[in-house]
Amino acid sequence: MSKFLLEAKNLRKTYTLGHVKVPVLRGASFTLAQGEWVAILGSSGSGKSTLLHLLGLLDECDADSGGVWFDGDPVADLKFSARNSYRNQSVGFVFQFYHLLPELSVLENALLPNMVNAGMSWWSKRAQAQKQATELLDAFGLSHRLTHRPAELSGGERQRVAIARALANQPRVLLADEPTGNLDTKTGGEILDLIAAKHRNGLSIAMVTHDPAVAARADRVVKLVDGCVAG
Amino acid sequence: MNTRMRLQHSTISRVYPVQLANRYLTSRIIPLIAVAAVALCVALVVIVVSVMSGFLDMLRASGRTLMGDVVISCPIRGIPWYEQLIDTIEKLPEAQAATPLIDTYGLVRMPYPEGSEKEVVTANVWGIEPQGFNRVTDFSKALYWKPPTSPEAAALMLPDDPRLKLNQNILNDGLDLMKSATGEPGLVLGMHVSIANERMRDGSYRPRYQWFMPRQSVTLTLVPISAKGTIAEPRERVFPVVNEFKSGVYQIDKNRVMISLSEAQKLLRMDAGTLYDMQAPPNADGSLPVLGTSPAKVHKVLVRAKPGVTPDQLQAAVSSAYEKFAFDISQDPSKAVKAPRVESVTILTWEQHLRDLIAPVEKEREMMRILFSIVYLVCAGLVLSIFWAIVQEKTRDVGILRSVGASRLGILWIFLQYGLVIGAIGGLFGVGLGWLVIHNINFIHETIGQDAPAWSYITSFLIALVSLAMCVRGAMTGVLLSTLLWLVLGITLAIVGAGLMLHRGTLIWDPSVYYFATIPDQVDWFTAISTWFGAVIFSVLGASIPAAKAADIHPVRALRYE
Ligand SMILES: Nc1ncnc2c1ncn2[C@@H]1O[C@H](COP(=O)(O)OP(=O)(O)OP(=O)(O)O)[C@@H](O)[C@H]1O
Ligand SMILES: [Mg+2]
Repeated sequence: MSKFLLEAKNLRKTYTLGHVKVPVLRGASFTLAQGEWVAILGSSGSGKSTLLHLLGLLDECDADSGGVWFDGDPVADLKFSARNSYRNQSVGFVFQFYHLLPELSVLENALLPNMVNAGMSWWSKRAQAQKQATELLDAFGLSHRLTHRPAELSGGERQRVAIARALANQPRVLLADEPTGNLDTKTGGEILDLIAAKHRNGLSIAMVTHDPAVAARADRVVKLVDGCVAG
Repeated sequence: MNTRMRLQHSTISRVYPVQLANRYLTSRIIPLIAVAAVALCVALVVIVVSVMSGFLDMLRASGRTLMGDVVISCPIRGIPWYEQLIDTIEKLPEAQAATPLIDTYGLVRMPYPEGSEKEVVTANVWGIEPQGFNRVTDFSKALYWKPPTSPEAAALMLPDDPRLKLNQNILNDGLDLMKSATGEPGLVLGMHVSIANERMRDGSYRPRYQWFMPRQSVTLTLVPISAKGTIAEPRERVFPVVNEFKSGVYQIDKNRVMISLSEAQKLLRMDAGTLYDMQAPPNADGSLPVLGTSPAKVHKVLVRAKPGVTPDQLQAAVSSAYEKFAFDISQDPSKAVKAPRVESVTILTWEQHLRDLIAPVEKEREMMRILFSIVYLVCAGLVLSIFWAIVQEKTRDVGILRSVGASRLGILWIFLQYGLVIGAIGGLFGVGLGWLVIHNINFIHETIGQDAPAWSYITSFLIALVSLAMCVRGAMTGVLLSTLLWLVLGITLAIVGAGLMLHRGTLIWDPSVYYFATIPDQVDWFTAISTWFGAVIFSVLGASIPAAKAADIHPVRALRYE
């Protein structure tokens, strides 16, 4: 049993643009303990999102370089189906640009991870999942918006739906990429309050931001400089 | 259970692909446009292929109308003892009926113009036994002139129309090749042999009154040719025209005339007679010694197959029957004249016999096949690219779904269903639309063939005016899209109106160019069903390929897709 819930060692990531190789991560290491809230600071283009995507298995790090461990197990060994369920159950991802499905209602977007996870038994689980999602959206102040489309919501409302979606399957880790980046201070503060409430209930959080005020609410702050994490 | 099995199992048993496909299908207008596009493509293919293959089938069928299925021929020498041959053939289990035929060329002197210089045309003269010929071919159906079928039809004709005074027996006269009023042997002309028949736009014929052929007589001249190929004194005879026939094939209708077999044999000296010994020294009175009787001969024997027997099967059976017949004759001491051996007669199916006529049709069919393939490919490409564009646009959605744990097969399954539903429904609408158009194609064609009625262009000008008014209103209230749409509608309708006003009826399917009066109006169901399947396949392919592509890349890449 590792002492870290999520651990990244020596991550390297290089993008190739035409003939030019752009190294973004050059051996970044990162740890997140159970129940911890870590803020990742860094200037624009420093590779914060890239790091978070690697932690969420949404991208792949360059071969022959480090890796990610979840609960002590290397995720590199996971098969396709296990990767899918890692994204579905173990972590919840919040994007800077919300990324909601435009054809689905607010409630359906929040239920998406439950839907993806469920087999034929969905019809029996559905009521339970819906109740849970409705409660969460209710807590986020969206109870009057359940049947609306994402296009009809404000940015802050959309981000709250995205967080509700990320928490749908009660993951142990929330990976949030500038969840308040596009919001004004007041709305951003409200969203951080919601996240902080979940954190108090035991949720581990890795949150990318370039706003020191936001980072200040975390338990610990790390900095990404020159493709490496400085503690 | 290995991983892959579990993966597939888990993907199929998920419900989210069904729910998402359903959502994608119902919450936007794009699927409707795709359905319409698929429907139009399918309808286009079904209409083009049905009409064209119907046309080719009609052409082939009418080529066969006056031939039967298998033809035995021995053009110069002729076939003696043909009654015995026909008996033998009619006993075959493959044969329905057989009939003798004289097939030669002759000159027909027409009754026109006025004066002593009459027009003379060359013709392919067939001597037939009318009843037997009718059993082998569909001769009675080809006879054209009949008395008006109803008082209403008669009322539509001008008072001096010769059809009103037609003998009630005209059909029987044609079928018997005999003028029943006088008992004279008669002659049936192909529809286009004389100048007297004017083809109408609808493909029917109107007689030019003065020269209505069934009231006229023609003089037929035939040239007998001996078995050795020498020409004897031409013989001529006046025949009353008893009817005219239309096979539907222009070359035949333009050249062929029919008389009775016995008349043709007499004119050609192919009837039964005494056979003299040319080699022996003459008798005391100067006449040659008699060898026996020379049997009547014919050039051809036409055979019709029993239903379900192919011409090729019949051909084989007829060949062996002929061989047996020739052998029997050669063994019969009472018959001085022997039948030609099987090697010196040709036994062909109607297709082989009419190769010259059918070859161009086959070429046309080949060309059509190439055209069909092009139409098909264009439609397939269109359907493919429509789906490609729709699904490509959903790449970001694929990234989102992958980021919440959807499997790649799950993604594929969503879009596979999407393509399947649109392809199937669009294909169904397309087949329905094709069926509607094809069933009414002659009506549509006739409508196009007429000048547009005044109300049609007046209405379209009026609506155009209203649209332009709406366009001005839209421009004043500053709504760009509705201004644009009204403008387009107004201009389109104005152009349509002008087009309708200037439209002068033109028949695309001119019966004097094509042989048939009507456009084939039967849906080729094989084509319809296979096109439907094609639509489904190309829709599914078009939707799944970009979906698979989007599912294959890392989720972030799909998310970044613009
Ligand atoms: N798919 C890609 N192809 C090429 N280069 C990329 C790609 N994704 C990211 N990069 C580059 O990697 C670098 C880091 O990008 P990343 O999004 O991780 O930065 P970031 O720290 O999140 O910045 P920001 O604060 O602006 O969101 C950038 O220079 C970016 O141009
Ligand atoms: Mg970023």
